[in-house]
Amino acid sequence: MPERFLSWLKSAAGITILLTLFLAAYATIDRGPYILVNTAITGGMLALVAIGLALLLGVMNVASFVHGEYFMIGTLAAYYVFTPLNAYLTENPSPFLTNAAPLIAILSAAAVGAAAGALTEILVFAPMRRRSRENWVMNSFLLTVGLAVVLINAHLLIFGADFKGIVRYWPGRPFTIMDVFISRDRLFAFLISIIVILVFWLFMKMTRTGRAIRAVSQDETGSLMVGINLTGILIFTMALGCSLAAVAGASLLFLYPSYPTVGLEALYMAWFIVILVGLGNIIGALTGGFMVALLKVLTVEYIGSGWDFVVPTALIIIVLIFKPSGIFGSEVRGALEK
Amino acid sequence: MLLEVKQLNAGHGFLQILWDVSIQIDVGEYVCIVGPNGAGKSTTLKTIAGLIKPISGQVLFKGEPIDGIGGHKVTRKGIAFISEEMNLFTNMSVQENLLMGAYILNDKDLIKRRMTYVYEFFPRLAERRSQLAGTMSGGERKMLAIGRGLMSNPALLLVDEPSFGLAPQLTATVFESLDKLVQEGLTILLVEQNVTKTLAVTRRGYVLENGRITLKGKSSELACDPHVRKVFLGV
Repeated sequence: MPERFLSWLKSAAGITILLTLFLAAYATIDRGPYILVNTAITGGMLALVAIGLALLLGVMNVASFVHGEYFMIGTLAAYYVFTPLNAYLTENPSPFLTNAAPLIAILSAAAVGAAAGALTEILVFAPMRRRSRENWVMNSFLLTVGLAVVLINAHLLIFGADFKGIVRYWPGRPFTIMDVFISRDRLFAFLISIIVILVFWLFMKMTRTGRAIRAVSQDETGSLMVGINLTGILIFTMALGCSLAAVAGASLLFLYPSYPTVGLEALYMAWFIVILVGLGNIIGALTGGFMVALLKVLTVEYIGSGWDFVVPTALIIIVLIFKPSGIFGSEVRGALEK
Repeated sequence: MLLEVKQLNAGHGFLQILWDVSIQIDVGEYVCIVGPNGAGKSTTLKTIAGLIKPISGQVLFKGEPIDGIGGHKVTRKGIAFISEEMNLFTNMSVQENLLMGAYILNDKDLIKRRMTYVYEFFPRLAERRSQLAGTMSGGERKMLAIGRGLMSNPALLLVDEPSFGLAPQLTATVFESLDKLVQEGLTILLVEQNVTKTLAVTRRGYVLENGRITLKGKSSELACDPHVRKVFLGV
């Protein structure tokens, strides 16, 4: 075990994680603990979007460029559920409902995201899969780009271009942790991302359906041979992946109001992560989420807020030159095992 | 009649490979399909297993038509297909692969019994329980593929080229285990290139050439047939 640990430390993944931890520790001492707090919140949410993206890549072989739009759908659903609830609450105060309303909004966003994902698979990917599986990766990729344009403009057409935001989810005084004030919304956003990731992890490892999803990602013919209904699993995977993005969008509504292209930043960041750690790698997506978040936070802190896309992009170019399969790429395979 | 294939025509895309193939198998039989490379043996098995949709013809299993219903439903009817390339889940452990084999079973006790049965049948797999399938040797993977097929408690086992890529000793072990399964009452349809060995162990056989059945009969008689001896055995 110690030798295995040492060799892992010397691998690209080990070096990067160590470097990240070192950077995080240095910045925390240099500038203060709020760096860690910001990284944790951004990282958890980025991880949710990136895990969904990695799932679609690993299981369905779809390089999705429409994933940010499910984030957008999440913000939209949460806004239209939370705003009337909140208006009702100002007239009829109820402590229980005040605390439950944000959760109701986020859960309905998850449901709407799942429904949108399932519909996308049934109406878009399944018909294409039936017609031809040649050039699948390229064709499905182009399809997602087109779908993204359609969804963004559908938002513009139906809901308009203005910002649809909320002031806050949870009212009340901010918490103080390590001398840092953290608003309730931020803390809950972090907790939600951790809980969702944990539940997702247990689901993939422990349940029959979770195992079936992993089986499909490893061998499609093999999964048919053991009696897995491929059509059903593909619809479910798409719903699950999109639902994760929608939860991220809904949980961050207090930071990013809903507007047509709100999902683009989440999409780009998720792609940074997925490219950084290796395509279709779910564990990698989780760690990568926090790494890219730290990078973003540090860039804003030390260089300036205009640079937060430049530094991660530059890093990815470097990673792709030296390690084209991503930093976790060589050691891992399969949807969850990768 | 357990399996009845009637006038089956099938192929990949526009390329037709099977022409009017008919096969009958009774419960408890050990039947083989032999033939040269590219004759359509694997295509026959894949079509029965539901992985290829036939152009025309019928596949009846226990009297029910199963052609074109889809691979996962064929498995649910009680047919286990062990493909040449095995299609194992390489990043799952032996245990998880076997659990996936029992995917169609809902009874937890039955799954446990099947698991014990498979581990007793292949003690080697029990030793490697937590090893990843992708890191095992060729022979062990073949055992795992057969074990995974047995997990679903099938009535019919379709085995494609069990000797493919294996050393002679391992091939013998795999053939022995198939023999044992037949003695336990399982029906097996075997496809092999190793004609001598196959005709020696099975009871009945079909000879497939260029996608057509050219000969059928008892294996011992087929082994003595002048045409078979000339084409396959080179004597």
